[in-house]
Amino acid sequence: MKSEILYPGAFPMVRVELADGEHIKAESGAMVACSPTIDIESKMEGGFLGALSRKFLTGEKFFFQTLRASRGAGEVLLAPTVPGEIVVLDLDGINEYMVQKDGFLAGADGVTIDSQMQSMSRGLLGGEGFFILKMSGKGMLLLNSFGAVHKIELKPGQEYIVDNSHLVAWSTTTTYNIEKATSGWVASFTSGEGFVCRFRGPGLVFIQSRNPGGFGAWVRQFIPVSE
Amino acid sequence: MTASTPNALCFGEEFPANGTPCLVHVEGHGLTMTFPSDREAGESRSESVPFSELTVSAGGLDHDQLVVTWSAQTGQRTLYLKNPDVIRAFRQAAPGHLTKPLERAAKQVRQVRQRRRIVWSIAGGALLASVLGLWFGSDLLVGLAVDRIPVGWERKLGESAYHDFLAQHDVVKDGPSVAAVKEMIHRLAGQIPDNPYAFDVTVVKSDVVNAFALPGGYIIVFTGLMKKAESPEEVAGVLAHELNHVLQRHGLERIVKQLGFVAVVSIALGNPPGLGGVMKQLGIELMTLKFGRAQETEADVTGLQLLYRARIDPSGMITFFQRLAEKDEGRVEWLSTHPMSIARADRLKTQLAELPKQSTEPFTFEWAKVRASLDTPGGVP
Repeated sequence: MKSEILYPGAFPMVRVELADGEHIKAESGAMVACSPTIDIESKMEGGFLGALSRKFLTGEKFFFQTLRASRGAGEVLLAPTVPGEIVVLDLDGINEYMVQKDGFLAGADGVTIDSQMQSMSRGLLGGEGFFILKMSGKGMLLLNSFGAVHKIELKPGQEYIVDNSHLVAWSTTTTYNIEKATSGWVASFTSGEGFVCRFRGPGLVFIQSRNPGGFGAWVRQFIPVSE
Repeated sequence: MTASTPNALCFGEEFPANGTPCLVHVEGHGLTMTFPSDREAGESRSESVPFSELTVSAGGLDHDQLVVTWSAQTGQRTLYLKNPDVIRAFRQAAPGHLTKPLERAAKQVRQVRQRRRIVWSIAGGALLASVLGLWFGSDLLVGLAVDRIPVGWERKLGESAYHDFLAQHDVVKDGPSVAAVKEMIHRLAGQIPDNPYAFDVTVVKSDVVNAFALPGGYIIVFTGLMKKAESPEEVAGVLAHELNHVLQRHGLERIVKQLGFVAVVSIALGNPPGLGGVMKQLGIELMTLKFGRAQETEADVTGLQLLYRARIDPSGMITFFQRLAEKDEGRVEWLSTHPMSIARADRLKTQLAELPKQSTEPFTFEWAKVRASLDTPGGVP
């Protein structure tokens, strides 16, 4: 399985080459085009209950699509819904990543997707909801972001502060605390940051250069209000 | 697991930030890490560290990984162990000085899990309780909040809407119609014990069949409604109904409900000015305020009793409601906010039948003259 990112930048697309018999699972609706040798199946990843919990708990889609090269090798073009970069991670079976609910684009068959419950404070204040996706296993993992993706590399004990709505994915070897952006409550919110996550290494933190919620609020002002 | 599958992540100066997968073996003297080579064919590299140089703690996102650190020649090394077999082997082989830190790490993991379970069960319980509480107690809560709003504040709310409305309409300043409505209000209000409201009634020149009451006791009667009424008792019936919306503070209840839970809490905690900002907005809403079915029933029943106490024939109320519903002519707006139903009329009839018979007192004006005055400009015959 080989992948190549086409048109890197705001509107990328990823080309995945599948050998005969190989398959990839992608977020439903992610397929843009594919070779005629590819079959599209819809699958409830993790079984019915797993799919149900993913749907209701993380807000992810109930069905994933499986793209299978069942009639010979071929290629698939995949793209996310929102404008923004795509990152390719190669899971080695040891490194695991937590991914915010809109961050998953596609994964090789060896990648396991679980919805995992967060702690109360992280769920309540982290802006990612109480349940997030945990990616483990082995193989290629494609994540998408809103805006550009920036990778933060943290050495053991190194700290970094991230606005909670800019998170895309982070290693499970990192740990984070939610805290107010400034020492005062009022200033925390008037500064426009509210809560931030203080990450502590080692591990990787992927952040997105745009905040989907902030963008939504900005767009809303231009939408005519119906009477 | 094959012998060469990595089972841990090793962090250090020369390794990438997401660590290097390595295979950890627990041996008698310490740990041996084997790093798979970058090139497929290349030799793999090994490193050993004695137990005596290790420090351990719990770490990772959920504090469920065993973190082992030591100082190597190349700098600080950190090992993240997750594999339960390796952790077990490590705990068994670890010498005395590591037992305590290992116990502490294990305790930390247990504590995190336990705390999470407790917090989640408390949150679940609280959620369930608040859902049940809101389901059964929302009316109670609204009632509590409404009770905290002083009448003066309520009057201010109604007043601004009242003046806005009158500024846009043709007001009948005096004449028989105004006198008649005032007499009705006077007789009804006289039967209300401990009445905190000074009712303010205005007749508005309009063919629309409507009458409404704003919070604080501001009542508006349209000439269209008076023209439709065949007797003064019919108008008095509508007024009695509207007065009771004011007395039961139905308008406020609706506003508080519409503003939502936060408003309720802020009022209940004694912060009514927090609502002041939305008053202007509400002024517009007040005109089209629809009452709930329970509120209509309450206003019907208490209105009927009020008519009875004021010795005004309550059957006028019922017949007028029914006649308005039957004849679908003109703009009977009163019905859009007070939908008539057979059940409603039946309930009123039953209610009336239960009251002991009594003689009624007629009004001092002549209804025919009042109605005639409505057709002349300015309301004066």
